Amino acid sequence: MAVFELQPPLTAEERLHKRKLIFRDLISLSGLFAITVVLAVLTWFLFNSFARHRQELAQRWLARGQAAMVGGHPEQAVEAFRSALEYDPAQRQTEIKLAMALEAADRVVEATSYFNTLLETEPGNGIINLELARLSARQANKPKAIEYFQRALDGTWQGDGYERRRAVRLELARYLLDQKDYPRARTQLLIAAGNAPDDPAIKMQIAGMMEEAQDPENALAIYRAVARQKPSPVQSFQGAGRVAYSLGRFALAREYLEQAVNHPDFLSEPESVRTPVRQMLADTIDLLALYPESDLEIRERADRILHVARIAQARLQACSASKATSVASLADLAARWQENRATLTPLTLARDPQLEQTIMNLIFDTEKQTAQACGAPTGDDALLLKIAQSSRSVEEK
Amino acid sequence: MNADAAVEVKKEAAAPHQHDLDKIAPSRDERLFLVLSIFIGVLSGLLVVCFRVAIEWIRILTLGSAPHPGQYRLLLAPTLAGLVVAALVQWFFPAARGSGVNQTKAALYIYNGYISFRTVIGKFITAAIAIGSGHSLGPEDPSLQIGAGVASMVARRLRLSRQRLRLFAPIGAAAGLAAAFNAPISAILFVIEEVIGRWSAAVLGSIVLSAISSVVVARWFWGSEAIFRIPQVTLRDPRELTAYAVLGVAGGISALVFSKALGYLRPRLRSLARWTHFFQPALAGLLVGAIGFFGFPQVMGPGYGVMDQAMHGQFAWQLLVALALFKILATTLSFSSGTPGGMFAPTLFIGAMLGAAVGSFEKHYFPHLTGTIGAYALVGMGVLFAGFLRAPLTSVFMVLEVSGNYSIVLPVILANTIAYLLSRSLQPVPIFEVFTRQDGLELPSMEEQREEHELHIEDALRPVHVPILGGSTPIEAVSATLSSANAPALLVQLWDGSWYAMSKDEVAGAAVTLTGDTPIERALKPDRAPMLFPDLPLDNTLHYFPRWPLLPILNRANKSKLEGVVTLEDVLKRYQDL
Repeated sequence: MAVFELQPPLTAEERLHKRKLIFRDLISLSGLFAITVVLAVLTWFLFNSFARHRQELAQRWLARGQAAMVGGHPEQAVEAFRSALEYDPAQRQTEIKLAMALEAADRVVEATSYFNTLLETEPGNGIINLELARLSARQANKPKAIEYFQRALDGTWQGDGYERRRAVRLELARYLLDQKDYPRARTQLLIAAGNAPDDPAIKMQIAGMMEEAQDPENALAIYRAVARQKPSPVQSFQGAGRVAYSLGRFALAREYLEQAVNHPDFLSEPESVRTPVRQMLADTIDLLALYPESDLEIRERADRILHVARIAQARLQACSASKATSVASLADLAARWQENRATLTPLTLARDPQLEQTIMNLIFDTEKQTAQACGAPTGDDALLLKIAQSSRSVEEK
Repeated sequence: MNADAAVEVKKEAAAPHQHDLDKIAPSRDERLFLVLSIFIGVLSGLLVVCFRVAIEWIRILTLGSAPHPGQYRLLLAPTLAGLVVAALVQWFFPAARGSGVNQTKAALYIYNGYISFRTVIGKFITAAIAIGSGHSLGPEDPSLQIGAGVASMVARRLRLSRQRLRLFAPIGAAAGLAAAFNAPISAILFVIEEVIGRWSAAVLGSIVLSAISSVVVARWFWGSEAIFRIPQVTLRDPRELTAYAVLGVAGGISALVFSKALGYLRPRLRSLARWTHFFQPALAGLLVGAIGFFGFPQVMGPGYGVMDQAMHGQFAWQLLVALALFKILATTLSFSSGTPGGMFAPTLFIGAMLGAAVGSFEKHYFPHLTGTIGAYALVGMGVLFAGFLRAPLTSVFMVLEVSGNYSIVLPVILANTIAYLLSRSLQPVPIFEVFTRQDGLELPSMEEQREEHELHIEDALRPVHVPILGGSTPIEAVSATLSSANAPALLVQLWDGSWYAMSKDEVAGAAVTLTGDTPIERALKPDRAPMLFPDLPLDNTLHYFPRWPLLPILNRANKSKLEGVVTLEDVLKRYQDL
């Protein structure tokens, strides 16, 4: 209603006052505006100068932190990375570096807490999950470690994610091997082998871990595949020979071990590697010299069988003689040898392949049971025992 | 301040009188008010940005870019800064002492909104030196006072009325605080809760305008996360509320310890000989520096970076608890020594550390139950705010505003309420009021003011005990009814639904001058009983009683229906019973 109220007219003096007032207000507001503009410009310069300095400080402390990490001073790195983050807070990579420095400085609780916080903002981050897996492994929390490793495998990675995931998988496999969880380790290694690029070094690493995971067949397959490549590393021949030997595939082992020994790089291998390879090759040659191979002439095979039969009988006699009382299993073996005495001639054996097999079985049984009764054999008996333990695969290639 | 204020009064006397202004430009103040609110917001925002940059520069120059234990500069910088600041405060800027909140309230309630330019400059310089060199204080309260000072200067420059001048102080205070805290809603609520004490529609619009203007300016420079990065906030499991309740208890106890420590040390240091006031900030600086030197440099300065790190889970819970305790000690020393600087940042720091400690502990021992550590740190901030500063509404909205996530409202309310009630029951006088009393001032208690019970008409209402008659009733019948009822007055309902309360004398007068068959409405005076409703303030009725013997109280939905009546005796009795 006030709008419609009549205002008393202003006197001339009041009108003058009003004009002065309006003029003064305009001047004041203009002054205020000018002050605001000047202050804004000053603030802008001040702030920008400050922001640049903060960036410089952030870079400087980041570099110091990285140098401290490289120099093996994680405690210093923690402080440096913290300072870098203070001046440039939202740098995810610096945050991860700080957490890793905490971990390296054995501040496991802080590192875990920090990584967990980082994970909350980025649950799919591969490296954070990997670091949490490592921390869980350090804290002997196997289920958590495996869970985080798996999340790291499924997570996102900057750069070459394919390569990083393989590295994580191999790290998981190594962790499982250390935990003696061979079945799970084998699974991871098989996946890694299936996805591995055509890189001999990686394949060799996987094959070596497969050996540790008690999976010699797959290890051998990888060694052989690498050995087929040109040029192939000497380690592939050594590995293939070693695994074939452990599998009782002595013919194959001799083939690879000979190639290893004849490889130009073999001499550059350390002595600790060369000696067992040479020993294995020598054993393989001796062993195959005793073994009646299927591709020998019939007569020659019969002679070899008779030769090893004599060795086995001598072992039985010596073992029986060493025992004060009669051992049933040994007596049983002696009886079986007695039964077959008449047939132990080259001619009989040459005529009857079935008999060959029977005698060979008797030889193998003799070596196995005397080993049980009288301890590990030496010399030819030791070689025969090896053949006995993998009699079906000696010639397998 | 008094001398400056006197000069200003003289200037005002030279200006046209307010009643002249009302005549020649009646709507001038109103129009300028909103425009100036924006100017005040922008200027406060710019000044607060400069203030924070100055603090950071001084920090880097005095404490180095990465202070760590064992650096002698941690001992030297706050000590020397304490000497410089004390000299400045004692010789040049005596009004710059303290946090700034009570000074702004004093300006509002005692000095008619007057804050001198010298105070603003003094506060800027001394607080920047003190906070930058490592004293355990924060920039928010000084920003609040700087904003209020800017507003006061602008309003004086425009020669606004004294009433307007008084209103500008809270407008500037809200702008300064909003820019410093980067949270306009919280700043507005804080100013309403702690400076003005009650909701006032007259000033709310201007406060909002200035606060938003200042935050826009601050964000233009600092970005949306000016103080710390806001972590993800979640409530994972309802059982987490137990942990939040524990946080509320821990916060309440910490607030009590903090208040008691300040309440004990501050008056004792103030009562020492005047010459010691030149050395108290230096000694406090030395002790705070020693805390940093021997292992906890994080407690030096406002500690936003540390809050950010705590919120993002960079510390173990044991360290977080230690930081909270040392911060209480360091802030008590710095503040009690009279060093200019605020209590906001230390309060938030202590709360964040406590919250993060509870969160980290839970995360470590009950990992399947816990949300983010950042959520606990944020709630912890609110808890200390509620418990120590006693601003419960601000504390809740602050967390919600800062987090931008309403899913956390339940833990916030639970923890804050526990802390507030605990602190209030153990320490009845809020900390700002403690300071006010120690300074010998009598400012209104905002907590009491907030909780004042305002009486309404319904509180004095009584059932209608007098006759009610229609306007067409003959005077003769009216007289008879009044006599038989033996009532002091009666109510007449007129044809248009309005009411008239007629006294016994009035009826008698009408009976003498008019014939008995005249309708009573002809005997009524032209005015009508006021339209009053039960929900109106009771004091609204007082100025009607000289005219009316009693007042009919109407139903808002149906004005011809009466809810009851009130008499002067009823009203006075109700006030006497209060």
